Amino acid sequence: MTRVEGSSPPGQELLSSVGAAWTRAPYPSLVVDTAGALVEVNAQAARLFPAAGKGVPLARAVPDWLVEGHRRAAVGGADAAGPVRGRHEQWTLEAHATSGADGQVVWWLVDDTHRELAETALRNEQERTRFLAEASSRLLASLNTERCMEVAVELASQYLADAAVLVAPAAGRRHPLSLCAGGEVEHRTLRIDPADVPGLKEALQGFPPVPSRWIDPSALPEWALPDGFTGPVGSVVVTPLPGHGVPAGALILLRRSDQAAFDASEELFARVFAARAGAALSAARLYMEQSSITATLMEDLLPPLLRRVHGVEFAGGYRAAQDTERVGGDFYDVHPGAAPGEKTLAVLGDVCGKGLEAAVLTGRIRGTLQALLPLAGDHQHLLRLLNGTLLNSRHTRFATLVLASVVRQENTAHLSLTSAGHPPPLIVRQDGAVEEARTSGTLIGVLPDVRSVTAEVDLRPGETCLLYTDGVTEARGGPLGDVMFGDARLRDALAECAGMPAEAVVERIHMLVAEWIGDNRHDDIAVMAITAPRTTHLTAVDGHTAGRYTA
Amino acid sequence: MNTAPDDSVFHLDTAHDASGDAHIRITGDLDWDSADDLAEAARTLLCADPAPRRLHLDCARLTLCDSLGLASLLMVHRTCAEAGVSLHLDNRPALLRRLLDLTGTAFLFDDDATGAEVPDTSGEAAAPPSPPPPSRA
Amino acid sequence: MTDMTTAQEDGTLARSRDALWQAVWARDEDAAARAVFAALDAGVDPEAVLLDVIAHTQREVGRAWAENRFSVAQEHSATAIHERIIAAMAHRVPAPVTETPGTTVTVACVDGEWHALPARLLAEVLRLRGLRVDFLGAQVPTPHLIAHLHATVPTAVALSSSLPLRLPTAHSAITAVQAIGVPVVAGGAAFGTDGRYARLLGADAWAPDARSAAGLLERGLPRPAGGAVRQSVDDLPHLVDQEYTLVVRAKRRLVRNTLAGLEERLPAMRAYSEAQRERTAEDVLHIVEFLACSLYTDDSGLFTGFLDWTADILEARQVPARVLEPALALLQKELKDFPRTLGLLDQGRDTLRRRGTRPSVPGPGAPA
Repeated sequence: MTRVEGSSPPGQELLSSVGAAWTRAPYPSLVVDTAGALVEVNAQAARLFPAAGKGVPLARAVPDWLVEGHRRAAVGGADAAGPVRGRHEQWTLEAHATSGADGQVVWWLVDDTHRELAETALRNEQERTRFLAEASSRLLASLNTERCMEVAVELASQYLADAAVLVAPAAGRRHPLSLCAGGEVEHRTLRIDPADVPGLKEALQGFPPVPSRWIDPSALPEWALPDGFTGPVGSVVVTPLPGHGVPAGALILLRRSDQAAFDASEELFARVFAARAGAALSAARLYMEQSSITATLMEDLLPPLLRRVHGVEFAGGYRAAQDTERVGGDFYDVHPGAAPGEKTLAVLGDVCGKGLEAAVLTGRIRGTLQALLPLAGDHQHLLRLLNGTLLNSRHTRFATLVLASVVRQENTAHLSLTSAGHPPPLIVRQDGAVEEARTSGTLIGVLPDVRSVTAEVDLRPGETCLLYTDGVTEARGGPLGDVMFGDARLRDALAECAGMPAEAVVERIHMLVAEWIGDNRHDDIAVMAITAPRTTHLTAVDGHTAGRYTA
Repeated sequence: MNTAPDDSVFHLDTAHDASGDAHIRITGDLDWDSADDLAEAARTLLCADPAPRRLHLDCARLTLCDSLGLASLLMVHRTCAEAGVSLHLDNRPALLRRLLDLTGTAFLFDDDATGAEVPDTSGEAAAPPSPPPPSRA
Repeated sequence: MTDMTTAQEDGTLARSRDALWQAVWARDEDAAARAVFAALDAGVDPEAVLLDVIAHTQREVGRAWAENRFSVAQEHSATAIHERIIAAMAHRVPAPVTETPGTTVTVACVDGEWHALPARLLAEVLRLRGLRVDFLGAQVPTPHLIAHLHATVPTAVALSSSLPLRLPTAHSAITAVQAIGVPVVAGGAAFGTDGRYARLLGADAWAPDARSAAGLLERGLPRPAGGAVRQSVDDLPHLVDQEYTLVVRAKRRLVRNTLAGLEERLPAMRAYSEAQRERTAEDVLHIVEFLACSLYTDDSGLFTGFLDWTADILEARQVPARVLEPALALLQKELKDFPRTLGLLDQGRDTLRRRGTRPSVPGPGAPA
């Protein structure tokens, strides 16, 4: 053993229990006797605890947590005590006890400040990541802009601030606003001046955010405060919601004056959150715009709801090929006669192709037929004119269709049926016999001239004429798999429909075909039933049958 | 002209025979996926120098023809008529005969219906159901 | 709504029911409408007319069809007549004017579900109670439903299904709707008489009938948080054994092989016409589909219940129920590596055995 120079006076027996380098050890260390008095203090410890010195009671020199740790070590033994932790001034310390001579305890102190800071930062980071993951999934859940704004302010006011206000870009002169404090979300549409809130105008124009410390909380206008927000505003963050090229809005975060102001890392985090909210809101806005355009277009393209006209039942059903596209190549229409004794023109057809191209062609055919209605009495003439308007030198896309002119005389519905390259209609008689209308003709839209043969058919009460597209007969499926539904099954199914109302016939045929198809892919399917009612019809029920959204 | 390894996949085999006629053999489904290919193949054959006098479409291996398939046949018909080439639809399966009858277009593909002023030397029967397959190079 | 006493009203309801039943039996739409409007004119609450006259009669129609007392044409006609009368009632009985219709409900049938009438009745009841309703009708593809919800964000969705076979589809619809933050009330026979399948599939609520569904929807349901779509295995962990997947994917092969096996075992079947053979194939397909559905829900009651029901239907048409047994035996051979499936088939065979012994010659062309 070598005696060493240290902060304690030399000549102590102590050094028999510690190493010579002890006094210069890079870690603070204390030796304490059983009575709780300091026996030795090394250089680092002396720097840490200025009051410490030989003979000084521990309680006078070090924080309470260490005093308490020593009390337990003195009773239970140094090894059993385990490390104790606590704060001392700006540091976080971890103290390890080892046994010295004569029941003395040697305390070794480790500066734990950085580890604790790192752990706190990590915890915060994990919490933020968790929050952002949840926020993203909740923000993206809805493609409705108002709902998306609602979720954004809910999340922001829960996690980032006491209250949150989302200002969307102006629609016209008004800005849609969503405000949330304490869980309740309000939606307002207001004529506001964004310049009232420092940084808001800039944020809505996509300029970088104004630092929070530049914003005077007392200058906030009334409209920017949610109803549920109490107390003076202490600090404000205004951050843009970046969108697809143009800002999707701006987020205003408010804290009460009794809360800590936003610090730099919180402001940064608010921007990260705002980026996600902006992306979700932009997607929702894009979706809403697209779907409203599509809905407007589809109103004209979707088959109409059919009803009784002048004592004859009309019912239609349509199922598009892809379940996500409700407009396809099949179509039908009924143009009621101007008066009960005048003919009603029904048409059902199929244009070649799919999707938007087919829908455009369908629209042209339906529009042209509407315009040619005054000529509806002469099917040949009508088809010739329709053919002429559809001829196109660039392609050979064609349409096939069936025209039916219908008028009721007494209890009988009289039909003139003309096929233009389309499967001829089927007729089910009162006794269940099924006949094919004897009509045929050329498809429409490719050849310079078209020819056709018209069939005249009378329907007695309870009899139905079925117009259909080849999506019915060419549907593949069945219990054994890849079998076509075919003409024979359609005739068998129709035989059971004698005496049914038109809607029931349509539903029955559609149901059987859908069951036949099962999970298989299929083409557009359209059917229309024209039925002479079994009983004189009910005026109270005529027309206005509320329809379905999808076939 | 070789048989392709897999007849379940749509494909076209094209050839010119010794007499200068062009041939396309259609195998598989003529539909949304494949209709454009046929019209394109026919156009390419008609551009050959010297131009063929006749175009034969061999439909023996045609397994399906939907409305776009028919549209492509009508396009080939139109192209041939414009080029003065006579078009022949050989070996029509029942499904194709039915479709042509239903749509009132069968007469277009009867021999010489293209209106091309080409003497018919093939000796084929005027009205298919199933004319003999043309000879191949 | 009315000054009538309960006893008077009960009498009027009973008379309307009788009159409506007679009318739909005769497929007489005028008489049917008279029966319904007479009750309204007598002051009966429109909701009671919808539920205690029309819905009641529709249930009777279903029973009459099952017992072979109604033809297919009569059944479809009755439904069509009911639909028209409900539409006419909607014009005659205006919805109450509410200051702020705070509650909006979307009513839809699961994709593949054709029986729209129960959903239609609920929609009308909600309308009469002053709620805003979007009625999407029968077999609504889930993508359409979701697109509609994005556009409208209703307070809740009421999802209707009568066929248990649609439960897997209903499940994906329920989870998709909840994922966009809209709660789902499930209703209809498919979800079980006690709503067990609604709970199993994680619906926010279940209602046994239109009145209680309307009550639930009026009181309101909390919005689910929304976010990631729950996957089927999250609710139904037994699906990881893949038996459901494999049976569904092998569906057509199972039907073909079972049909071939039946022809080998039962000489009478070899004389079947093509149409009779197809009917039998449809019966076998139904068995396989219900088997798959039982595997999905891990609930044998669905399968044995289906077999019992089918046996009743067959017997009502003079076809012995024992025809089903050999099909189950053949399926057991095909599916011998699937323990959960084998267990279900065993229970199915027990169910059929308990129905007693009758001659086991299959009758041709029995509807399932």
